Amino acid sequence: MNVVNFPLGSATEAPDGWRHAELQRLTNACSVYLPSGQASGWELGETDCGDPQFYLLGPAPEQDCILSISRLGRVYVLEDGSGRIILEHDNLLLFAEQAATVLRNKKRAILAQIAAAWCAMREFYEERIEPALAEPVEVISHFASPLGALA
Amino acid sequence: MTFAKAELLPPKQLRKQAGTWLKELRAKAGLSQIQLAKILGLKYYTFVSQVENGFGRVPVESMEAWANALGVDSSHFAKHLIQFYEPELHRLLFEVKR
Repeated sequence: MNVVNFPLGSATEAPDGWRHAELQRLTNACSVYLPSGQASGWELGETDCGDPQFYLLGPAPEQDCILSISRLGRVYVLEDGSGRIILEHDNLLLFAEQAATVLRNKKRAILAQIAAAWCAMREFYEERIEPALAEPVEVISHFASPLGALA
Repeated sequence: MTFAKAELLPPKQLRKQAGTWLKELRAKAGLSQIQLAKILGLKYYTFVSQVENGFGRVPVESMEAWANALGVDSSHFAKHLIQFYEPELHRLLFEVKR
């Protein structure tokens, strides 16, 4: 993981063509997702044309790119790890706020997936397991003959 | 076309190797990142850079398009990329002797 320090109030140039103020905003928007383990860090890069890119990385060991932020001229482009464009904006402040919202929604999506999986398990339990437990005699008789054969 | 075998490395490093390999293929095809993105129908070329820098992956659904754009056989292209992206799957599919 690359931990990049950005001294406040220093010169405008930062690594890989970013400006300190830009990086500060982007890292502020993304850093809240580090403690929860949703993201493991970020790295910087640039395109062949020298346009700066900021990559937010997912949990280790894969550390796949969750989000990629690029600055093309005056436009900031937010993409996911599969190249889907999520957001385009020329105002960094609004862009950073919306990027944070995207991350929050991503967290909600994960929670929704977990909730859906839990509901499916619960449904399975209610449909299959509970009726079986409610009829112990039937269950015993179901298992009685194979158990008898083993004895 | 034959491709060199990928080494067993952590996922992040394997993706970097995949990116370097893709960049080489693009250079051989004589394409810029912008040109490749255009052929792939991408609005921006930033995803090509993301993949080549080793952060993103070529999505399975567009592997054929990438292979065609780079002028290589799509089956060999996908097989070689799996070596980087899913080394264990590659081992099971192509290396384990039956």
